[in-house]
Amino acid sequence: MKKMFVRILVVLLIGLAALLYADKAKITIWAWDPNFNIPIMQEAAARYQKINPDVEFEIVNMAKADVEQKLNTILASGVKTGLPEIVLIEDYNAQKYLQSYPGAFADLTKHFTWSEFAPYKVKLMTLNNKVYGVPFDSGVAGFFYRIDYIEQAGFKPSDLENITWDRFIEIGKVVKQKTGKYMIAADPYDGGLMRILLQSAGSWYFDKSGKPYIANNPVLKEAVRLYKEIKDSGIAKEVSGWNEWVGAFNRGEVAAVVTGVWIIGSIKAEKSQAGKWRVAPVPRMNLKESVNASNLGGSSWYVLQNSKYRDVAIDFLKKIYARDADFYQKILVERGAVGTWLPAQGGSAYKAKDPFFGNQQVFQLFSEWMKKIPPVDFGVYTYEADAAIMSVMPDVYSGKLSIDEALKKAEQQFLNSIK
Amino acid sequence: MSKGYKRKGLESVWDKWGWIFVSLMMAGVILFIFYPIVYSLYLSTFSTRGFLKTFVGFGNYTKLFRDTYFILSLKNILTILVIQVPIMLFLALIFATLLNDPKVKFKAIYRTALFLPAVTSLVAYTVIFRVMFSNDGLVNRVLMTIGLIKEPIRWLLDPFWAKVTLIIALTWRWTGYNMMFYLAGLQNIPIEVYEAAEIDGATKTVQFFKITIPLLKPIILFTTITSTIGTLQLFDEPMNLAAGVVTGSSVGPGNSLLTPSVYIYNVCFKYSPNFGYASALSYIMVIIAAVLAIIQFKVAGEKE
Repeated sequence: MKKMFVRILVVLLIGLAALLYADKAKITIWAWDPNFNIPIMQEAAARYQKINPDVEFEIVNMAKADVEQKLNTILASGVKTGLPEIVLIEDYNAQKYLQSYPGAFADLTKHFTWSEFAPYKVKLMTLNNKVYGVPFDSGVAGFFYRIDYIEQAGFKPSDLENITWDRFIEIGKVVKQKTGKYMIAADPYDGGLMRILLQSAGSWYFDKSGKPYIANNPVLKEAVRLYKEIKDSGIAKEVSGWNEWVGAFNRGEVAAVVTGVWIIGSIKAEKSQAGKWRVAPVPRMNLKESVNASNLGGSSWYVLQNSKYRDVAIDFLKKIYARDADFYQKILVERGAVGTWLPAQGGSAYKAKDPFFGNQQVFQLFSEWMKKIPPVDFGVYTYEADAAIMSVMPDVYSGKLSIDEALKKAEQQFLNSIK
Repeated sequence: MSKGYKRKGLESVWDKWGWIFVSLMMAGVILFIFYPIVYSLYLSTFSTRGFLKTFVGFGNYTKLFRDTYFILSLKNILTILVIQVPIMLFLALIFATLLNDPKVKFKAIYRTALFLPAVTSLVAYTVIFRVMFSNDGLVNRVLMTIGLIKEPIRWLLDPFWAKVTLIIALTWRWTGYNMMFYLAGLQNIPIEVYEAAEIDGATKTVQFFKITIPLLKPIILFTTITSTIGTLQLFDEPMNLAAGVVTGSSVGPGNSLLTPSVYIYNVCFKYSPNFGYASALSYIMVIIAAVLAIIQFKVAGEKE
């Protein structure tokens, strides 16, 4: 009996020792998009494990809405467990989370050299002079077009460089007339193009102090006019939802796509169109403050202040996302991910010519445009403002409300919904 | 129980065990149902933004009368309710009557075919409807081929047609489900009643309106109330029909598919997280559902 007891004790002790030994630091990461963020993070994790083999990673793939939902509920409930070490947050949502959950995210100010990152990105994650995130991918916008359709319509690539949206619409009409193809595919109720337009002029739904700037915002007014103009001119194939949108250019139904650089993967997915695509700077608005550079989307990594292996997580982000230039080359080539850590942009992959785009140095171009993106403070209510604008759009399209009246109504709706 | 009554030992033991068995369930109900109900009432007196909580008393309840989105979502849902529920229930009733006819052959096949939509996943069927009702989707192509329309209908791109699409989708999904209740009800109506009516010279239509409907009244009332509550809570269908290209900023064209549940979700998770306001919205929805149920009871003249 005594022997038995000793045996059991020994087994238990060994088990305990094994458990202690196996207690490596484990970094949990939440992100979305199994074709983009997830494999990129897996690559980063594999690289870090070479530097620090005692770290394990658990990279959890969820839908973007699910990441946001989980993060919101767990943070709001006030519990300290169940949260990952690192979470991916869309730039438009950054300030919302930072301001709604003070103290929840780790202050990274002293850990990184911020001048090495694209300034517009750093600004998005700065609150009271403290920086809370590690800038990741850029949503630098581009004007992708089908050279075959454009030439058939009688235009040269130089005709599409640094143009205004009004010119874009004119070209679109000619393309439609001569080739029968639509210029773009668009969902008339999606706010994506609106965000590109506004940021190209350094404007947003809010002014510098965060107050709504809708009814009297000349940039917004012009943007709404362009939305209506694009719809009325008939250059846009109307689509609803992501799949129809991607389907429209994959099937060759449209001559152009104007959106963030992250769409490259979806464009190149249609291999039969190799060599037929080109890229030009995004059109600007007919306003003096508007430039031929803008942004749509992009996201960044945030570390949770109360997570168990916070310091390891910070070290991981530092050693890979702010030191490993080779990593950035690899994710660029494999995933089309344009990082915002500037030293990486001198690398060879950025200079590579892409035969899919007629040997244009696509990423070189994008990183140049990236530096010209006017910085904008997205504030905390971007989605509310988007919804306010889009709910008055039917009346703008039908002509029931003038643009001024519609924007006034949108601002009122917006104010009522947040107060 | 009179005072003088003495319980036998065994009985009180059973009693005790009964309570022990029930207690787990009770604890669950208290913890996961009663506690959230009470807590959300408390929460609805605060305006929250993440960690930040400000006491506003009835502020949230006065705010929602000014909140154009909430009012719009109510309008949307009432439009759908007033049009979709009667159509669906009437169809269900007709299908049930047809299937109840003893002369119909292959009943099981029809019954299965009509009931199958009710077991499909909400998300899956919505996604398929979305594909079918896209601008160059199946529905437009068929309609154009048979010459009913010349231009494609902008199903999901026009505020009016988006609602029509939603109504068609809901009707497809839920008619069979309601039909089953009617079918069960019809089987309790004795065949002799119809035979007597036939001898008296009543046509099938007269029988339907004078016998079937009055005798099914309690079941019709039940399906009306469950359908009403179901419509008020509508979430999966509009959420999936309306997913946008990049930003999804509008729930359907011009927010035409915005329902209260989707709005509550957005207030919690998409917009600046305000769980306090979301709780207030949820409470108002409960009150609206209760009021509608009471009205339906009154209209149907049920005393119980």
